[in-house]
Amino acid sequence: MSLKLSQITEQEISLEKNRFPRVFTKSPKELAVSYLLWGGISMLTIYCLYRFNFFSHDFLFGLGTLGNIITTQMFPPTGFEQLPVFGKAIGETLAMAFLGTMFGAIVGLPLSFLASRNMMPVRPVQFGFRRFADLLRGFDYLIWALIFVRAIGLGPMAGIMAIAIVETGTFIKLYSETIENLDTKQVEGVRAAGGSRLQVIRFGILPQVLPVILSNTLYMFEHNTRSASILGIVGAGGIGFLLSDRLRAYEWQEACLIIILIVITVYAIDYLSKVIRERFIFGDRHRVSGPVVDSDDV
Amino acid sequence: MLKLEHVTKKFGDYAAVNDVSIEVPTGQLLGIIGRSGAGKSTLLRSINRLHDITAGSIVFENGESSIEVDRLKGRALLEWRARCAMIFQQFNLVPRLNVITNVLIGRINYNGTISSLFNRFSAAERAMAVRALDQLGVSEQCLQRADTLSGGQQQRVAIARALVQEPKIVLADEPISSLDPRNAQIVMEALRTINKDHGITVIANLHTLDTAKMYCDRIIGMKEGSIVFDGLPKKLTEDIARGIYGVGDDASDEEFSTAITSTTLGAA
Repeated sequence: MSLKLSQITEQEISLEKNRFPRVFTKSPKELAVSYLLWGGISMLTIYCLYRFNFFSHDFLFGLGTLGNIITTQMFPPTGFEQLPVFGKAIGETLAMAFLGTMFGAIVGLPLSFLASRNMMPVRPVQFGFRRFADLLRGFDYLIWALIFVRAIGLGPMAGIMAIAIVETGTFIKLYSETIENLDTKQVEGVRAAGGSRLQVIRFGILPQVLPVILSNTLYMFEHNTRSASILGIVGAGGIGFLLSDRLRAYEWQEACLIIILIVITVYAIDYLSKVIRERFIFGDRHRVSGPVVDSDDV
Repeated sequence: MLKLEHVTKKFGDYAAVNDVSIEVPTGQLLGIIGRSGAGKSTLLRSINRLHDITAGSIVFENGESSIEVDRLKGRALLEWRARCAMIFQQFNLVPRLNVITNVLIGRINYNGTISSLFNRFSAAERAMAVRALDQLGVSEQCLQRADTLSGGQQQRVAIARALVQEPKIVLADEPISSLDPRNAQIVMEALRTINKDHGITVIANLHTLDTAKMYCDRIIGMKEGSIVFDGLPKKLTEDIARGIYGVGDDASDEEFSTAITSTTLGAA
């Protein structure tokens, strides 16, 4: 009983085709679904682009203006004498992002267990928490910030609350999806040792979901730094206020400096979260296991 | 013939495989025994070139042509890995893919990267995959997801994947350590069939003495990265075995007796 591709005959192929037709061809239903899906996505894309005048002279001409603004009006950046002011404002923005993310994570983590199908057996409750999360992140930061500015007045606190509310919703969704993708073996191990519900969460679930939760949270912190810089525009303080001010006054060069500072800040956060992730998530395992793809793999 | 000369593999300062020289003639069923951490897995992974060796050479001679395995790069390296199929203790299937796709993964090296990325395999390859599953008695499960199969069935799927690679050598790294005795026997017999009927060289790391003695043409004993025994199964006396398993160092007699018989197979 040899097994060589060159020795597989036509008869054998048709024999196996009769035995297991689905090995050779997708079912008509699967085929229809995949054609409909891909056809639908591409039609929708083209239709939307067409309706928004993507294929127009104005759009391409506008692109040229954009290049013009960046190359001639924004460079070189100016306003270096205001660096201390900008620095303080960036600090404020970072603080807003940090506190907002933090509150969101603290409230979102316990609620995410209640919103996970495998943790919350009472379906209406689980469903309710999911929809509640949708509601929280259903409006953008800007809307929440406007509402809070109206309620508690101008300043960073409005921005922090806006971020915290949206993040609670986002984290409930992200965390609970992580929890629903649990590997049940380790959970079973802890249950079999007589663990109570909370002990199972502490020893069987947290260790495996923590890396994903941590990297989600770090990413959202970075994301919120960018969001927080926009919130200044509606009066929630921080670097965004200074930026929108410069943009409104057509001070493109000073705006350019502020944008560069924001980019540097985001880089710094990205680097920091990389260090944190390597330190806490990979730990020793990182050193022991070899590369998944090495340089010799074509 | 596969020829290893003075092969050493170091992790940092620690030599997991230390100056190993062996010759494996084509068509041999070679068993490697030893305690956990003796360097058995590292040796197999070196032959497959899942990692580079630190020193020494590995040469594969096939008729007039010979391949310097330790120097392979790029396409030639990927081709070598395909010709030298590997079977793992934990099966290493892709759980979310169905059985037939897992087996067809054994054909990816024969296909262009682009066409295989779109899961395009020829009808002949698909028929071949079904035949391979047939030979191992798991073809009925071919459209199920791999993670719905039992451990023994998964290992048989893994062997089918190795078979469709049309390998010259099959490397089995503790293939039966996570299986019950009945499935262990099925898997060992499948390996023996591959070896005897297809004439493919098989090198298997085995935890247990009795399995090695029952199935192998030749046994190598490893201890702390070095070869301490190399010969026919019947030459492997209890005293030598005690030496391989390091009884008297820090393993108790009880540990030794489990080591030799923990997978008791019925008469094959």
